[in-house]
Amino acid sequence: MLISLNWIKEFVDLSGIEVDELTKRFGLSTAEIESVTHLGSNLKNIVVAKILSVENHPKSDHLHVLTVDDGSGAPVQVVCSAPNVRVGLKTFFARVGGQVKDMKIKPVKMVGIDSNGMCCGGHELGIEADTSGIVELDDSAKIGTDIHDFLPVDDVLIEIDNKSLTNRPDLWGHYGIAREFAAIFNRPLKPLAVDDLSAYENLPKLNIKVETKNCFRYSGIAVENISKKFATPLIKLRLNYCGMRDINLLADLTNYLMLELGQPMHAFDHAKVRGITVIENAKPLAMETLEHTTHTIEPNSVVICDDKREPVAIAGIKGGLKDSISESTNSLLLESACFDSMSIRKTSRKIGLITDASLRYEKSLDPEMTQTALARLLYLLKQIDGDVKVTSSFTDVYNFKYPTHTIKTDADFISRRGGVELSAKQIADILTRLGFSVKVSGQKLEVIVPSYRGTKDVSIKEDLVEEVFRMYGYDNIKSSTMSMPLTPVDKIPTHEIEYEIKYALASKFGLNEVHSYVWNYADFNKSLGIEDKPVVHLMDASKSGQSGLRVTLTPTLLKFADENKNKFANIQIFEIGRTFDELDQNNLVVEKKKLSIVLASPESEKALYFKLKQIVEHIAHSLVGCEINFENASTSKILHPINSCAITSGNLTIGEMGILHPTIAKKIDKRKHFAALELDINKLLSAPKQTQKIVPTSKFQAVSLDFNFVAESNTKYATLERAIKNFRCNYLLEYNLKDVYTNDADLKGKISYTINITITPKDKTLTSTDIEKFSAYFIKTIERAGFTLRQ
Amino acid sequence: MQNKINEIKNYVIQKLSGINAQADCQALRVEILGKSGKLTELFKQLKDVPAEEKGKVGQILNAGKSEIDAIISNKEKELANAAIQNEINSAEKIDITLPTGAECGSLHPRTIIQREIEEVFTSMGFVVEDGNEVETEYNNFTAVNVPENHPARDMQDTFWLDNGEVLKTHTSASQNRILKKYTPPIRAIFPGRCFRNEDVDASHENTFFQLEGVIVDKDVSVGNLIYFMKEMLSKIFKKQVEVRLRPGFFPFTEPSFEMDVRCPFCDGKGCPTCKNGGWIELCPCGMIHPQVLRNSGIDPEKFSGCAFGLGLDRMTMLSTNLNDIRELNSGNLKLLKQFGVK
Repeated sequence: MLISLNWIKEFVDLSGIEVDELTKRFGLSTAEIESVTHLGSNLKNIVVAKILSVENHPKSDHLHVLTVDDGSGAPVQVVCSAPNVRVGLKTFFARVGGQVKDMKIKPVKMVGIDSNGMCCGGHELGIEADTSGIVELDDSAKIGTDIHDFLPVDDVLIEIDNKSLTNRPDLWGHYGIAREFAAIFNRPLKPLAVDDLSAYENLPKLNIKVETKNCFRYSGIAVENISKKFATPLIKLRLNYCGMRDINLLADLTNYLMLELGQPMHAFDHAKVRGITVIENAKPLAMETLEHTTHTIEPNSVVICDDKREPVAIAGIKGGLKDSISESTNSLLLESACFDSMSIRKTSRKIGLITDASLRYEKSLDPEMTQTALARLLYLLKQIDGDVKVTSSFTDVYNFKYPTHTIKTDADFISRRGGVELSAKQIADILTRLGFSVKVSGQKLEVIVPSYRGTKDVSIKEDLVEEVFRMYGYDNIKSSTMSMPLTPVDKIPTHEIEYEIKYALASKFGLNEVHSYVWNYADFNKSLGIEDKPVVHLMDASKSGQSGLRVTLTPTLLKFADENKNKFANIQIFEIGRTFDELDQNNLVVEKKKLSIVLASPESEKALYFKLKQIVEHIAHSLVGCEINFENASTSKILHPINSCAITSGNLTIGEMGILHPTIAKKIDKRKHFAALELDINKLLSAPKQTQKIVPTSKFQAVSLDFNFVAESNTKYATLERAIKNFRCNYLLEYNLKDVYTNDADLKGKISYTINITITPKDKTLTSTDIEKFSAYFIKTIERAGFTLRQ
Repeated sequence: MQNKINEIKNYVIQKLSGINAQADCQALRVEILGKSGKLTELFKQLKDVPAEEKGKVGQILNAGKSEIDAIISNKEKELANAAIQNEINSAEKIDITLPTGAECGSLHPRTIIQREIEEVFTSMGFVVEDGNEVETEYNNFTAVNVPENHPARDMQDTFWLDNGEVLKTHTSASQNRILKKYTPPIRAIFPGRCFRNEDVDASHENTFFQLEGVIVDKDVSVGNLIYFMKEMLSKIFKKQVEVRLRPGFFPFTEPSFEMDVRCPFCDGKGCPTCKNGGWIELCPCGMIHPQVLRNSGIDPEKFSGCAFGLGLDRMTMLSTNLNDIRELNSGNLKLLKQFGVK
């Protein structure tokens, strides 16, 4: 929102305060200032001048050769293209040596004729919206008067961030901003000059009916006999400076009031609109608005209708074209109303029409303001046009009044919340400056919130803490530490392990972490033939491009692998993220924290598969301290039907890993092998913990023995290992697999494992008898597990 | 006897002068000092020496043995050194500047920043909590005092799910759960992924990370909040920073603030990062709204608290010079591989 500092100064004397200080303090106390622009300094040597003569340019069909009196004594010749030039017209004239914004005025020849200056258009000067010709000044303007003396073109324009005013309906007009400046700098706020509405009490009432609870208040008054067509140069200037366009007297005045008080207003042609009925439409309505656009108003919107129930305006948003004021309008029905903010917002969003009025109504305007605004408008109208006649009494339907908030608190509460000791008097002073009524008794405060702050912003004592300290100055609050008891801090295991895993994967295994989106990528998955059935969907997929939430993490990583496949021979990526594959009995999403790894490389599939195993073992053994097992088959459809496995711990399946299914792998990249893993972090943490038992070392000589055990070819090493692990003896026993044979002729298709066993006695040196006894017992035990000793 | 010894000594010296291999030297040692070596044989003759001379002859023999042993040992050392020198000279010259081939892994820059920030908080006694990504409407909005018909609840701003829940729009969605879980005094942070239903461009993401914190105790004040934020941000930026509060508005805090930090990149002199303003808007914060405390079963008459949110994506962009937020969720390994693990 654009604020003119000159306009503000009409309501509060800010003399002696630099602009920098004004904006800085406002920014720290009230709302964010986006920009400060100084206007007017680029308008130089521009004066009121009168056109003395007009002749057609001999060589041009649209140029005129004029002489003007600019008050310098001798008439000045100038060539002008404006169609509205005529003898006797007073306008703004930029002399040679002058400046109109970026344009320096120099003597020039225009199609062969000397031109010494420029007659200025209102748009060129930035003071009017009109682009069709030169400014037409009232005949009372004194020739030779500098534009700076004629109009306050020197101004400072402050742009306030609209978002930071969301909660301050009172700040959507200059008067409210002026009130804020007055409070910040402790200067008095001047009262608003208004017309006395009680003078019309005896005139007939307007026919106003309100049939919806979403119209809080509807005030109106009728006037006629308006002789002036246009607003004053000052009003036009302010409208244009603040980003609006001047149109005609009544439109300009209603807009001016909106910028001044934040109260949107509307003027109807009273000859056509004889009365007002505010309704909520039951059926969709079509209405052509002032911009000649037809909008469909959905049911349950607030619509302003005339006494014949014909719609004439979309309440709080836009007036209709049919009954708007025109050149011939002589009597007006002036509307000043207040509507429910949410109702206006909904309608505005549904139609897709956001206007200066709707933006203000959305903020919950103060209904008390409708009356002030009408009184102010009449005052300004009468100042401009003395012939105006009021033809109705002030007619007011006031159906919803906000409650008056009275907040009881004390100086101690305010002080403790701020962390600064303030007296009740200090607090009362600040609040009074902001328009609050405060009763002080001792430490106690009874604060009445003014209506313009009470629609949603201020209602509890914590709100007063904000009011007091933003005015006191947050930068004046001394920072101070708090005292809290010394207590040990809990660590949340699911959170801690996440970082530990990430750190190990990156630092120990050389993997790269990625972050992705939580959507499933339906098209990508489909193209790879990955089955993809989201359990939850987005209601609006227009901005994410995807409609479901992922049920598994790995496809997203495959997508990343796909996107990077031509840039890297080796891709080793991982992510810890959530999946959403289940709803509980209350229909709430059960989200799961998963680790997914995708390895893609020209390396052998076996190497990749084992790298995954190495990683999982590191996580399980070193980071979590649980046993894991890879013997069970995986159920994953994206993994290789044979070379994949479930990762289990005890009875718990915590994940799956394996070579990627060849159909999928080949679709991504034929030059690479792929392996993938997906692990449930919470399940991993719930796996039974194994605490490593520390065994004392022995000083006696160890003995190392090799055994070859033969079994059917599908016998997994894990079977042998389990048999060894379960073997009990009196020695310390270590084992490792030395070799695996499958192709020797004597094996006849079976498999042979060469196991090296080291036994260490605890309390004596081993004799050959001891060793023979051990071997026999060991072989017997292993043979019971389905193996035979290779001969 | 002395003569015999000298004879052997001279023999040894002469032999050694022709020896270049360690094995030959070893053979000579055996020839002289071995079990039936020449010198050993002399010792065997000692038993035939008359008793009164035994002491003297023994001395001569021992002295001779020491001398000869030293001569051989010296040669042995010399040869051993020469052998090592030879091994060194003939070694393969290794170019250690050749690459190792080992892959350097990387953490996502967000993870690195998040961990760094978390460690600042844990050092100050905060517990780090995990939030959900899908939240109920109650937790995301109602519990944190967002009014029933607030625009944030609209479909166009929030990702609503078909089961009636939402993808959480802010980390504040976890406040209720966490304030219920602990009893005051509470110090907790909860980083997490948040979502807004908006169009994505270089500075807007529909998926982003925030880190939110709460402190609840008796009489937590605005002054405490300023103190805490200043200390915390100084630790994060690794230099003493200045902060300032400006009015802000959030339904879950009252009063609400925008916290600016004096630009740590130019010390407030003005630079592209702070758009020449000298301050960076960094951290929305405020005193927890009494209704939010009440919703979590905490009596706002007895306790007060402050809450603050840090945009992890913004912090990441600030510290990595990234200027397109979309890179963070892109899986662009050309970029991501440049980060290390710290």
